[in-house]
Amino acid sequence: MRGVLGAFRELDAAVGAIDALKKTRFGDIHVFTPTPRHELEHALDRGPSPVRKFTLVGGLAGVTFGYWIAIWCSDYWPLVVGGKPIASWVPYTVFGFEVMVLIGALATVAGLFIYAGIPRLTMMVGYDPRFSHGEYGVWVECPADKAPAAEDLLRQHGAVEVRRER
Amino acid sequence: MATVARPVTARDEPRRPNIPAADLQLPAVRDYEQVDREIIGTLRPTVKWAIGLGVAIFFLIIGASAWMYQIYTGLGVTGLNPPIMWAVYIVTFVFWVGIGHAGTLISAILYLFRAGFRTTIYRAAEAMTVFAVMTAGLFPILHLGRPWKFFYLIPYPNWRYIWPQFKSPLVWDVFAILTYLTVSATFLYVGLIPDIAVLRDRENINPVRKRIYTMLSLGWRNTDREWRHFARAYLFLAAFSTPLVLSVHSVVSFDFAMALTPGWHTTIFPPYFVAGAIFSGIGMVFTIIIPLRKWFGLKHYVTINHLDAAAKLALFTSLCVGCAYMNEWFVAWFSGNEAEKAFFANRIWGQWWWASAILYTCNMVLPLSLFVQKLRRNTAWLFIVSFTINIGMWFERFVIIVPSLSHEFEPWQWTSYKATWVEYAILAGSFGWFSMWFLLFIKQLPVIAITEIKEIVPPRLRMRHPHGITPSGEHFDFEADTPGEHD
Repeated sequence: MRGVLGAFRELDAAVGAIDALKKTRFGDIHVFTPTPRHELEHALDRGPSPVRKFTLVGGLAGVTFGYWIAIWCSDYWPLVVGGKPIASWVPYTVFGFEVMVLIGALATVAGLFIYAGIPRLTMMVGYDPRFSHGEYGVWVECPADKAPAAEDLLRQHGAVEVRRER
Repeated sequence: MATVARPVTARDEPRRPNIPAADLQLPAVRDYEQVDREIIGTLRPTVKWAIGLGVAIFFLIIGASAWMYQIYTGLGVTGLNPPIMWAVYIVTFVFWVGIGHAGTLISAILYLFRAGFRTTIYRAAEAMTVFAVMTAGLFPILHLGRPWKFFYLIPYPNWRYIWPQFKSPLVWDVFAILTYLTVSATFLYVGLIPDIAVLRDRENINPVRKRIYTMLSLGWRNTDREWRHFARAYLFLAAFSTPLVLSVHSVVSFDFAMALTPGWHTTIFPPYFVAGAIFSGIGMVFTIIIPLRKWFGLKHYVTINHLDAAAKLALFTSLCVGCAYMNEWFVAWFSGNEAEKAFFANRIWGQWWWASAILYTCNMVLPLSLFVQKLRRNTAWLFIVSFTINIGMWFERFVIIVPSLSHEFEPWQWTSYKATWVEYAILAGSFGWFSMWFLLFIKQLPVIAITEIKEIVPPRLRMRHPHGITPSGEHFDFEADTPGEHD
């Protein structure tokens, strides 16, 4: 992956650089930000996160498993109490609910890990510790011949440091 | 998760200083550098902290020794005798589960309601939740004659021909508590990942700590892609945790409500238990956060406005549990059930009058003082009230469990109960266990969420903002300092 990184101290400068880079269509843009900000989300316009699909599938799988384990265990080793049905759905709703929450929550975290690309052993190209501290990093993917233009554009928008990364 | 640098509208300026707003203001926190410096600064171990940890471990050793003695000698060393086979251990179990409720309430429910005051206290409350549920989970095991057989409750294929009775509330409890512990711990850890990345990047002295933070941060890089999925996952975790908070203590209350014992067999128990759990949890949050903000110098983060707002929540839940107590009396009288009436008379005017008096004083009477704004904003008084709430809520569970078992239907069964030193030692040990984990936590990981505080702090901007933000990114002062500090 080859590209140019610009480090910005100000939020509005980073947003301006993103807008300009999108117009020039250099390549994919990645932003490093110490905290999520709607200004950056609006500038990047990525669309909704697909993590919710994991939540839905995990929740449905959980509720199914919760009812199933209770019913299967009851049928396998019937404990007849007071002539009540062996598999009684009302108390088993507790299991259905609890396991739905458990599997749904864990599936959500799995979705986060998969889409966010964590855990990872190495830092991404261009990462700098100051991006977790307070500065904003705008990384644009571009071939070597377009790199000077991208560097100029980032500087024009107030980047305090611009460097090529690969 | 994300925020926008919003204009300071006429509606917001000037604020009435004594009204805590739904959104969060931290006027004394100026920039990201200050946030990192001050919150990471709390991780430095101090002598007082080491003494506190030593005391916690001392109590833990006392409790562990008493448990060893109980295992060696048998459950006869406790005050348990038929029909009172549930006493201090189950009381303490329900107490700690209740304490564990406020963390998820503050972090999840208040997050969904966008209550800004949660931001500065939720991390401590979440950690408190995880450690409280860890403590609670010990007690059903401590209560077993052969604690090493606890795994019999877990359904898995085996050749023992012993299967859990899925219609038993005790098995529901196992699932509810394990789910709650797992989801609470997951919620805490996911929220911590970006903060651990900050610690990883700022740790330049101790290579071992840096390596541990590197592993725990999972390679978090603060990219927009990570934040986008993180925000969505956090929202869904909050959405899952919200009904879980309500369900767990409902399920715990079924342990009692499903039995025919007087004082237990009532449909009001689930909401009564949930309100009580939230009440006790907020009490414990105050007990922890008030000294913490003082010792760590974090009064400008956990401001008096936040405590005031949380005190209103405590007051509201106190009124809820007070209503439930009065409803219990009313139902006992209105039902015409002689056993129920006799039991309640015994609970309030009979052999357990002293426990009931402590309960009603601590949970119904003293919290009424929080109607007075001046007392809500007095941290010394808040601390005292929170301490009495903790005591009152332990006695609430005692009054529910022990008097009911001591005064069932048949007069020949009526008896009494006296806890032994073993039970008291294990009770003290549980506080040592909880305190030890919490004290270790606050010196390894930030007790206030760094990245969420940064969302509140105005970002640095290049251009002068047209609506009240200076070129250095600070809002124009509209509240010079946090007013109304009485501590």
